Amino acid sequence: MSDERDSRGGRGAGKAADKEKGGRRGGFFRRRRVCKFCVEKIDYINYKDVKLIAPFIPERGKIQPRRISGVCATHQRALQTAIKRARQIALVPYTTD
Amino acid sequence: MSAVRQYELIYITPPEITDEALAEVHTQVQAVVDRFGGTIEKTENWGRRRLAYEIGRQREGTYVLEVINGPGALTTELDRRLRVLDAVIRHLIVRVDEDLAVAERSRVRRKEDLAKRRVKRGLPPEPTESERHRREDDDDDADGPELGFRAERGDR
Repeated sequence: MSDERDSRGGRGAGKAADKEKGGRRGGFFRRRRVCKFCVEKIDYINYKDVKLIAPFIPERGKIQPRRISGVCATHQRALQTAIKRARQIALVPYTTD
Repeated sequence: MSAVRQYELIYITPPEITDEALAEVHTQVQAVVDRFGGTIEKTENWGRRRLAYEIGRQREGTYVLEVINGPGALTTELDRRLRVLDAVIRHLIVRVDEDLAVAERSRVRRKEDLAKRRVKRGLPPEPTESERHRREDDDDDADGPELGFRAERGDR
């Protein structure tokens, strides 16, 4: 039982719930995300690792909110400092336009 | 009251810097570190890299990483010196020992927890090779591009 939604019913029910949750308007479907750092058991989010943090920096250069990315609070905090440090040494942009 | 701490210093120099000038910066750093009784654990030259934004009309830079062990007082001096140097266009000093210790602790704790749970279920503490493969895919959702949404651009 990795997810509380699974307990509601088998496979089919879980999927339906997913659709309901993310499938609003315009068929833009997104499933419930899990924290990447928890899944991959990353304890230290290294600010020098651009490949690791790049997925959390959308086009505009802002830090992606966790309501979008699904990162847990603990890791979002760590990610935030990592991104801010990376910005200072020009590994990651402050803004892009 | 001068505990040894670990710091990471990263500095960026213009890409066209000569090797001598780069060595000169390194010696200056070394001198400051020595004066405070610290040691440089490792020096890593990342070479020429594209900057994410322009710094003083530079679009590229040479990155150097130095891992330093020493007292905290050293950072202030290092910071002051590096700010004055023309060869260094940007630098950053970060204390890392605490963060690494925390990471290590949670890694160890996770491993112990796993072992404990497994022993409870009457299994050997370490997962076997075949189990590990199964574990990777025991959830029921499709393993699509899970978190690879948008911004899938590695290094630019």
